[in-house]
Amino acid sequence: MEEQKTLVEQAKEELEKRFSRTLAVAASNLCVHCGLCVDQCHYFVATRDPHISPVAKAEQVRRVVKAEHDWLRRIFPWWTGAKELTEEDLDKWVEAAFRNCSMCQRCVVNCPLGVDTPLVLATARGVLTAVGKAPEILVQLADAAIAREENLEFFKDFYLEQIKELEAELQKKVGDPEARIPVDVEGARFLYVPLSGAHTIMPAAEIFYHAGESWTLSMFEAANYGIFLNDPVRSKRITERIIREAERLKVQEIIITECGHAYAVSRWEAPKWFKDQPWNFRVRSILEVMDEYIQTGRIQVDPARNPFSVTYHDSCNLGRNSGLFDEPRRILAACVEDFREMTPNRERNYCCGGGGGLVAIPEWQDIRLEAGKPKADQIRATGAEAVVASCDNCRHQLGEINEHYGLNVRVMGMAELVANAIVPKNGKK
Amino acid sequence: MEDRFLEFVKFDLQIIALSVFALLYALKVYQLMKLPWPKEMGPRRGSEELGVVYSFAWLFFPWSMSSTTQHLGRWVEFALYHLGAGAAILGTFTIPFWPAIMTRPVSLTMAVLVIGGFIVGAIKLARRILAPELRVVSTPDDYFSLAAVEVFFFFTAMALITEARGWMIAYFLITAAFLFYVPFSKISHYVYWFFARVFFGLRYGRRGIIAGKKA
Ligand code: SF4
Ligand code: SF4
Repeated sequence: MEEQKTLVEQAKEELEKRFSRTLAVAASNLCVHCGLCVDQCHYFVATRDPHISPVAKAEQVRRVVKAEHDWLRRIFPWWTGAKELTEEDLDKWVEAAFRNCSMCQRCVVNCPLGVDTPLVLATARGVLTAVGKAPEILVQLADAAIAREENLEFFKDFYLEQIKELEAELQKKVGDPEARIPVDVEGARFLYVPLSGAHTIMPAAEIFYHAGESWTLSMFEAANYGIFLNDPVRSKRITERIIREAERLKVQEIIITECGHAYAVSRWEAPKWFKDQPWNFRVRSILEVMDEYIQTGRIQVDPARNPFSVTYHDSCNLGRNSGLFDEPRRILAACVEDFREMTPNRERNYCCGGGGGLVAIPEWQDIRLEAGKPKADQIRATGAEAVVASCDNCRHQLGEINEHYGLNVRVMGMAELVANAIVPKNGKK
Repeated sequence: MEDRFLEFVKFDLQIIALSVFALLYALKVYQLMKLPWPKEMGPRRGSEELGVVYSFAWLFFPWSMSSTTQHLGRWVEFALYHLGAGAAILGTFTIPFWPAIMTRPVSLTMAVLVIGGFIVGAIKLARRILAPELRVVSTPDDYFSLAAVEVFFFFTAMALITEARGWMIAYFLITAAFLFYVPFSKISHYVYWFFARVFFGLRYGRRGIIAGKKA
């Protein structure tokens, strides 16, 4: 009988499986411990705790990698900080990689050497998931998304009923009894993938209606908790549901709702998992679609319909991870009269503190709110009455820091803002 | 006899040390190249090529990162330190192999650069000892490498200024010892730096995050 492997052995095995060229570089002597990344991380800026700087967090994992791969590991492991993995280390990794890092990548763009700290910490997340030490709620959410497809027949009728109710609302809103929220329409141009909650369906439905778009609503939610676990099997499985749906309906594009990580997964990560099955459709964010509609005049917008000052929060996954910087700014220029940039912005923006799956973990709310302080300060400094974020997780976090720091701003989605600004072609509304 | 010793440390020892050094680096690169490389596959939004160019260029423009904009002094330190290192390394080649260019003004200019590096090195060492956020991540190698470079800078400067036989012997002995140590220490970061900047440029360029170009 094969001997049962210890947790540490399993973790080391998983770490070895993930030892790629990029990880080998990030976990090598590349990091010179210069500390320039320290105050680029919102956790450190908010807490001033030297143990939760990017380099300090990554070092916990790097030392273990060095124990396996550094040239001096056998003679003088302590010389370069190499350290044999223990179970206690794994518990510390949970703190470093899940609790104290939102995977925002701000440290990477600010490291003169280009050390990919979130890659090191994401690897730790993957290892922890493999040995059963990942936060239970993230695992449950990922598994629930997979189960939804397996039990689709069970959910379908209830879901369609809900959509009918939303459709009635849409008809009232646009003043057209023929307005539809189409589901399961073969040959539609777009497959729109929402999140759970009407707020990710209604504004988009209204915009598609005014644009005269050919679209169909997905049966699934865009959220992919597998990516927060850095579990390629779960992540792929969750994405696969949507890919299969798009193929079945023969759509031309998958349009991801306002969700940073879901977009980044579908746009950048998933193509790596499906490299042997090229797709016949492209993946875009609803942000890109709204921008296109406005630029091409497919929808008319009037900035006077949003008569308040607005600032924009660059979601890390849409901006620093996906390059969507200009699209939201063009939309805002068209849809609001008073747009105020926060400083810093674009790839230098601070994370709101809710990324990396953290908004889903109630027991870490304290640190999440504390780490949201730099964002709160940024918003306050603009003096804006509303903050727009094109990511549902960010909006959730911004809502909480709004309350926690008494910012007194309105937290909005971009689609909501665009829907407000639309000038209907039939003159109704 | 004495001159033969100087000749030995200046030529033979340097060639041996450099060969070992090059061999170890080649091994490092070989080990890296053997590993799988999960490349970006998502359709391009920006240019990978421009991304790589920007990625390397960032180092020379302190305004390209918040960290160096916020800490301009650190960027200046970085520049001075690496200029000093460059001059010290250059000396190990020019003194034995191209003595004709080592005129007095050239030697003194190089010495000034090396002294600049030495001063910055002392500041870096003090910061590593005093700043809590650096102390918590520092390993013995961090302290030793900084101190070793200080020693290297010191002997380089003395050799360049005095051009005396004793200082020259010490300089070349230190250089050889240094060459044997570097591949095992954090000083080897520049080998990985090359790879890291390429990875960074490919990813952030392709995704249209840097280089500001949309495909
Ligand atoms: S990650 Fe980069 S910036 Fe941070 S300490 Fe290491 S080398 Fe310096
Ligand atoms: S990825 Fe973001 S949260 Fe994580 S260490 Fe880097 S700056 Fe901090």
